[in-house]
Amino acid sequence: MANNFQFLEVERRDPEKKSVEVRIQGYGEIYGEFDAEHAREQSERCLACGNPYCEWKCPVHNYIPNWLKLVAEGNLFEAAKLSHSTNTLPEVCGRVCPQDRLCEGACTLNEPGFGAVTIGNVEKYITDTALAQGWRPDLSAVKATGKRVAVIGAGPAGLGCADVLVRNGVQPVVFDRYPEIGGLLTYGIPSFKLEKDVMKLRQTIFEEMGIEFRLNTEVGKDIDMQQLLDEYDAVFMGMGTYSYMKGGFPGEDLPGVYDALPFLISNTQRVLGESEDCIDMQGKRVVVLGGGDTAMDCNRTSIRQGAASVICAYRRDEANMPGSRREVANAREEGVQFLWNRQPIEIVGNDKVEGVKFVTTALGEPDERGRRRPEPVAGTEEIVPADHVLIAFGFRPNPPAWLADHHVNIDERDRVTAPADGEFKHQTSNPKVFAGGDMVRGSDLVVTAIFEGREAAEGILDYLEV
Amino acid sequence: MPGVIKCLTAKLAGRYVSYSDKVKSGIYRPEFEKENCGFGLIAHMDGKPSHWLLDTAIGALARLTHRGAVAADGKSGDGCGLLLGKPDAFLQAAAGELGFKLKASYAVGMVFLNTDSALADAARTTLETELRAEGLDVQGWRTVPTDNSACGKEALTSLPVIEQIFVNAADDMDTVAFERHLYIARRRTEKALEPDDEMFYIPSLSSKVISYKGLVMPEYLPVFYKDLGNQALATNLAVFHQRFSTNTWPQWCLAQPFRYLAHNGEINTVQGNRNWSVARGHKFETDAIPMDDVRPLVSMSGSDSNSMDNMLEALLAGGMDIFRAMRLLIPPAWQNVENMDPDLRAFYEYNSMHMEPWDGPAGVVLTDGRYAACTVDRNGLRPARWVMTKDRHITLASEIGVYEYAPEDVIAKGRLKPGQMFAADTETGQLLLPEDIDYLLKARQPYKKWMAEHSRHLESKLEQSHLTGSMSNEQIGIYQKMFQVTYEEREEIIRVLGESGQEAIGSMGDDTPFPVLSRQVRSPYDNFRQQFAQVTNPPIDPIREQIVMSLETCLGRERNMFEETPEHAARLLVDSPILSPVKFQQLLELGRHESDYDTATISLNYARGTDLQAAISDIANKAAVAIQNGKVVLVLSDRDISEDTYPVHALFATGAVHHHLVREGLRCDANIIVETATARDPHHCAVLLGYGATCIYPYLAYECLHDMVRSNMIEHDNVTDLEGNFRKGINKGLYKITSKMGISTIASYRGSQLFEIIGMHQDVVDLCFTGTTNRVSGIRFSDFEADQKQLCKLAWNPRKKIAQGGLLKYIHGGEDHAYNPDVVNSMQEAVKSGDYNKWKVYTDLVNTRQPLNLRDLLKLREDTTAIGIEDVEPMEEIVKRFDSAAMSLGALSPEAHQTLAEAMNRLGARSNSGEGGEDPERYGTIRRSKIKQVASGRFGVTPAYLRSAEVMQIKIAQGAKPGEGGQLPGHKVNELIAKHRYCNTGVSLISPPPHHDIYSIEDLAQLIFDLKQVNPDGLVSVKLVSEAGVGTIAAGVAKAYADLITVSGYDGGTGASPLTSVKYAGGAWELGLSETHQILRANNLRGKVRLQTDGGLKTGLDVIKAAILGAESFGFGTGPMIAMGCKYLRICHLNNCATGVATQNNILRSKYYSGEVEAVMNYFRFIAEDVRQLLAGIGARSLTEIIGRTDLLEALDGYTGKQQSLDLSALLSDAGVAADAPQFCMQPFNEPFDKGELAEQMVRDTLASIENQSGGEFSYVVRNINRSIGARLSGEIAARHGNLGMADNPITLKLTGTAGQSFGVWNAGGLNMYLEGDANDYVGKGMTGGQLVIRPPRGSLFKSHETTIIGNTCLYGATGGKLYAAGLAGERFGVRNSGCHTVVEGIGDHGCEYMTGGLVTVLGKTGINFGAAMTGGFAYIYDEDNSFIDSINQDVDIYRIMPEHMEAYRNHLRKVIEDFVKETGSERGQFILDNFSDRIGKFWLVKPKAAELNSLMDDLKRRAA
Repeated sequence: MANNFQFLEVERRDPEKKSVEVRIQGYGEIYGEFDAEHAREQSERCLACGNPYCEWKCPVHNYIPNWLKLVAEGNLFEAAKLSHSTNTLPEVCGRVCPQDRLCEGACTLNEPGFGAVTIGNVEKYITDTALAQGWRPDLSAVKATGKRVAVIGAGPAGLGCADVLVRNGVQPVVFDRYPEIGGLLTYGIPSFKLEKDVMKLRQTIFEEMGIEFRLNTEVGKDIDMQQLLDEYDAVFMGMGTYSYMKGGFPGEDLPGVYDALPFLISNTQRVLGESEDCIDMQGKRVVVLGGGDTAMDCNRTSIRQGAASVICAYRRDEANMPGSRREVANAREEGVQFLWNRQPIEIVGNDKVEGVKFVTTALGEPDERGRRRPEPVAGTEEIVPADHVLIAFGFRPNPPAWLADHHVNIDERDRVTAPADGEFKHQTSNPKVFAGGDMVRGSDLVVTAIFEGREAAEGILDYLEV
Repeated sequence: MPGVIKCLTAKLAGRYVSYSDKVKSGIYRPEFEKENCGFGLIAHMDGKPSHWLLDTAIGALARLTHRGAVAADGKSGDGCGLLLGKPDAFLQAAAGELGFKLKASYAVGMVFLNTDSALADAARTTLETELRAEGLDVQGWRTVPTDNSACGKEALTSLPVIEQIFVNAADDMDTVAFERHLYIARRRTEKALEPDDEMFYIPSLSSKVISYKGLVMPEYLPVFYKDLGNQALATNLAVFHQRFSTNTWPQWCLAQPFRYLAHNGEINTVQGNRNWSVARGHKFETDAIPMDDVRPLVSMSGSDSNSMDNMLEALLAGGMDIFRAMRLLIPPAWQNVENMDPDLRAFYEYNSMHMEPWDGPAGVVLTDGRYAACTVDRNGLRPARWVMTKDRHITLASEIGVYEYAPEDVIAKGRLKPGQMFAADTETGQLLLPEDIDYLLKARQPYKKWMAEHSRHLESKLEQSHLTGSMSNEQIGIYQKMFQVTYEEREEIIRVLGESGQEAIGSMGDDTPFPVLSRQVRSPYDNFRQQFAQVTNPPIDPIREQIVMSLETCLGRERNMFEETPEHAARLLVDSPILSPVKFQQLLELGRHESDYDTATISLNYARGTDLQAAISDIANKAAVAIQNGKVVLVLSDRDISEDTYPVHALFATGAVHHHLVREGLRCDANIIVETATARDPHHCAVLLGYGATCIYPYLAYECLHDMVRSNMIEHDNVTDLEGNFRKGINKGLYKITSKMGISTIASYRGSQLFEIIGMHQDVVDLCFTGTTNRVSGIRFSDFEADQKQLCKLAWNPRKKIAQGGLLKYIHGGEDHAYNPDVVNSMQEAVKSGDYNKWKVYTDLVNTRQPLNLRDLLKLREDTTAIGIEDVEPMEEIVKRFDSAAMSLGALSPEAHQTLAEAMNRLGARSNSGEGGEDPERYGTIRRSKIKQVASGRFGVTPAYLRSAEVMQIKIAQGAKPGEGGQLPGHKVNELIAKHRYCNTGVSLISPPPHHDIYSIEDLAQLIFDLKQVNPDGLVSVKLVSEAGVGTIAAGVAKAYADLITVSGYDGGTGASPLTSVKYAGGAWELGLSETHQILRANNLRGKVRLQTDGGLKTGLDVIKAAILGAESFGFGTGPMIAMGCKYLRICHLNNCATGVATQNNILRSKYYSGEVEAVMNYFRFIAEDVRQLLAGIGARSLTEIIGRTDLLEALDGYTGKQQSLDLSALLSDAGVAADAPQFCMQPFNEPFDKGELAEQMVRDTLASIENQSGGEFSYVVRNINRSIGARLSGEIAARHGNLGMADNPITLKLTGTAGQSFGVWNAGGLNMYLEGDANDYVGKGMTGGQLVIRPPRGSLFKSHETTIIGNTCLYGATGGKLYAAGLAGERFGVRNSGCHTVVEGIGDHGCEYMTGGLVTVLGKTGINFGAAMTGGFAYIYDEDNSFIDSINQDVDIYRIMPEHMEAYRNHLRKVIEDFVKETGSERGQFILDNFSDRIGKFWLVKPKAAELNSLMDDLKRRAA
């Protein structure tokens, strides 16, 4: 019989986190793993609310209370099965989702101060442990339909789509320009948050399930879109957003100013041994501009590269920043200094970066998304010295030019039009082409991209009358 | 009493405009009508006629006036009447005057003729013709002299022409034959006339009895019928009756007694009984009667009592004797009574095989001219007390003391116990006591031998589970999708049943839409709302009174009941209608070998291309053909699904087959076994049984259990155990569902159709659920067909998974929930911040949601002229109409309870204490609850508590679980809770399903009177739950003098209850409120009561709509809880509420509760502000202006096909009531007819002594019409000095005579009453102090310990004081006592039930089921013949007091008896004291299992301190 007072009697306890001294020496994940007892004890803290706020807040609407109960009951494989019924990459989401803003933030136990259930870590535990114990998705009952779908992009959206397709007897063939699957999961997210072995294992599993990957293959360059349209019954595009947002202030082009993504990708490629070229912060005074998770990734990667100092500046206050609080905390622990309410107005320097000029802000009325607008306070300009500046203002869609050739419409903000509530979910203006993830929504969370990929797969299945 | 509008099935309206015609556009249905009453009989044992007897009967009726309903003119009642032994001399003389020549054997018929003379002539001719056709000699007609001035206005509008017909028997005819010919002639006449003449009715046509009845008050009966005033009219027996109908529109023909009987109570199963009478009509064969001429045997409309009378008459006409016939109709409980005489048991078992009981509360008095008899139902829910005097008269009535007799003339007095029958034989002068009748019955035939030789049981041997679990993963997936098993249902319903053998518990009600409103595919079972008993009949506690419950089911063909042969016993019995795999296989096996059980399996899967309706009809036809071909067991199976077929839902098939077979006269030759995937919870099973299924084989539920074991969802190695648990849980659920309607046996429940259908098209109802209430139309066959096709598509598509669920909890993509996370979060943000703009976010979410309640399809009209908001009444006026719904301290934490109270008080609104008392420190402060609840547990209900109230609310039912009791688990009962509830910490506290003092409407009237006596300034409110017929109940409640009535919806409700109760019981308030408003207006009662609604009210728009539908006051439960921080977790029953709102856990309360008075106030202010804006929009200056203004609403079309199929026009109807009839309450109080003059006299006499606390002694004579004696004084005492403040200087009343009901109710410390005489029901109810002493009159001849001196349900909810009664007490003595010390000389059944404290000493016999659910206090029982051990319930332990270590108890007992003897002079007590050393060995000490033996005495002392 479950203990109804577990939430009161047992505190929220995440797995052990490596000490700062140890963790900044390398790129390994900083969190440990639950053991079965620890996972059970933490899962049992769930109240099984009448309104499952966690599930409601979760973009893929994971059946969180249900799998928490299964873990509490020791039924790991059923938990893994249930977890996979709504999510293609639960072990990834367990690691990289900003749970404190989503499920755990919504958890009933969070607000009164009991500490939310450790949903993210249990999610990670379920899949990691079940896979380690030999559990695999059961596709034995799947009947092949003979249909084939090309999936462009092996990121979260593409994988989500391929997963659902293959489980329904449709053969997905996934194309990606990089040598590894995962897209930004592999290249954009530093390995101290998501170790690269995780995606490796996942690739093996996907291949066992029957997903075919064509890596190092860029559509439009190595293979023609028309060829895909000819050879496959449908095409799904999940190509992400790769244009960097700019600050629009002077000095952004100075040497020593880098966009976040190339910096992160180059570092990953070095860690993976794919390339030795890397933007390196060793010994440098680094200023990171931005307050999202990408900014935190830059901060912490810089620390690990041995930066002399890392300062992160954001134009609102801590309460109004978009990134995960957990990541801010980790960054701070690792030695990152934060400057809140600072809006960069210029990157100063001759021929190369010497510093960043900020103006202090005050917060005004909330905008349409509920976040308070920063308003510059006159006469507060200051210059923070820097050797390198990393800009992490986010991403914009960068639709490939060939879309127009195939009658795929995009909107005024360069997003592919593929509505979730169309006749077939996520169908584009070309009936045979579907799309999802960041290239449709604009830059967003990993988990939303997974969700859209899965939803698009449903649309494709309906379209193919499977 | 469902059904009253017409005695006859007339379709053509005569001149008389029936009530049903008046209100037919509204939402009321005539079959909702209910009635209760007072009744009795008087007979001369030796058959000596007298006019005195007639006068005494009429006088007795008048002394039961408080049990009937009275109109303001004092003349119009709901009807009364007399059934007399034929007054031969008087009739002879009357005939002589008219020149009739009567033979020795003659009959007189009392006939109501139409006021249209042509119709009357036709009726006379027809009757004469038919009588002559039977060989009888019609002498002529006599106009019965009447005086219309005795009638009230309503009575006159329907007054028939009243005549008598005189008929001679044929020469060679004996009495039996004569009666039979009269019956045949009457039936033929009725059948000929009924279609055209609505007024024609024959109250009696007999050579033995004659009926005088009508719509007048008892004292006017001899004025109206001049015959009755004529001294020459002498009779030897009279059965009398006074009616309390829930409606005021009267019917002459429905006045009682009927032709044989008068009935006090309600036949809950009447619809089923009627259907079965049609089905079984073809089984009744006798050479004596041409059966086709008399069928149908039973009227399908009219009152239940009328139908039962018809049935009794048919049985007697067929040659059955009156005792067997009556015991067949209303048998006692026998299935679980372990110590019943085996021969008697065999009699009942044998007879039960061919007829189901007419189940429900019943006291029946009857006569066939020779016997005057009375019988009461198995639960003893109606009182019957009798007195026999020296002059050989026996009188029996609902109350003792209904006529004056000298104490020394009384030979014996007594009462009928549950299930007993007694009779006076006026031919032999013999009094037949219950044992005598039992002996007669069991000795008729060798029943035991017949049963042993011929009956068989379907029994489980060593069950193996391999019979199920045959499905592969893939198959079970298909079945689950086809029949909508979700992950949620597997986990929350099926698994819980399988693992624990009981239903899962849930909290916070149901906030999902009805299927007709839903955008999801929903099960047809969800359209059915369980009916439940409220007010006019009580629910039963199926756990603590298990002894009356039975699920036994009988298979095989029925036989002709007019014969008794050994072969009648040859039937197959099974313990429960839910079959295990083994039993199902056994049954099929039997069918292969024995023709008596020859089986036909009919597939419910039909070929694609056929339409659903045709498929259902086809199945019904196949069933009929199979039976005609000799099949007996029909298996309706949905098992053979295929991709080429669609399944007919088992419920449609079952109902259609059942009704088709009934109509074809084949039903009693067949058993319907439903092998179905659709039945998976108790409700599913109950609906199938309610529409005629004999047994159910729920194979998919078993398969799911297997599957869960396979996948380790359930860790268990024996699936057979899980299947067994599953059945156990379903069985418990069935008990709960039947008991909630007051029904004890599944045999009676089967086919009784006790549901309201919400949202189905009439075509569906007519084909499958004929006769079920269905008021707003809805889902069509085509919609159901489309739904099923969608499910089929899903089922056979391997890529679709089973659905996650969403009916219980909110799940993305699942069913809509009114309190979904967005709604909860946005509301909390708004009320915490006090920001009205944020509130608008919340109201937008709610007001523009997809339709989820019926009101969402009603829209305010837009063509009204707006006024300025400044012209609308202020917020302060509006909030006065708001109450918080009852939530007890116990359910809520003290912090939350007080937050709510303070918020309401600061607003000028009212909070409701809920059940569970209140800290006296809160009385009179800002933290008090102005509404004090009186619920079935009566926890903490004392005179001071009641005096602290502005409103005293009687909770009849609550939305989350109408018809059920409650339980506060022991872990929630801490020091604080225990103190206010007068009980011990850590023990579970049980609120019974019924109020044990409300088994009928006149009982409710009594409780209301009790409350008004103790607190004359307070208002009395009655809380009902919406269901079909709630309006008529409300009308009855208004006539019982309630000041306020609340009609709750199903969707409110914060209490914990089984999930099937949460989901399937209780109706929408929109329906209940409209019905109530319409019916109150139609009956001219709306101006007398305030009407409130509650249930999921969320915004000002909800309030406006409720006002327009008729409410002037509004209750809120969940809303303010959420405003206090509740997150709608639905875990209230676990005590672990993380928000500290619904928990008693100290840490959660002190550290995590964050509710603010201001937030709650914001909630109500915002709603009031919404209301103001909406009022301004429609141009109204106040809420009052729009109450009942249904013209301000219009019905929307709806957004889905199903929604568009609804017809809500009845909600918006004025029900044909004049526009100037009041729309809201126009008077401050609803003043009772009974002014309580004696009580007022007592106040005048004693008030000075009370004010001065000086005490004193006063003397009065009391009669049974003096009710609630003492309560007025206790109220005055408690108001000034608290519950016990005057105990040291008491007022002493010396009384003689028979006290009316509720003697000493709510007695306060400082009032001692000594009564020499006897008393009726409810003595010492709710007493908290003082002393009540009752002893027989001096000079009495009877032995006190063999004579009943006080009635039923004494000391219910008492918290202190002492009661001594030198005589026997009735049933349920000491029920829920928590502090009174009492001594009596014997008690009835169910003694000390739910007792939580106090001391009960019984110096004589106790009835069965002693101490059920007793958790505190203890008892001493004197057990002279060592039979007590058979009487105890398993909840108690018993100990001898003899042993050495019990010395303290021995001494204590002696002192207790000494005090008793000192006060009463009891001979019994003295005898025991005189022989104490040899009598002490006969005593038992009884303690609850929940208490320790060595703590009993300490507890007693501690509580006394």
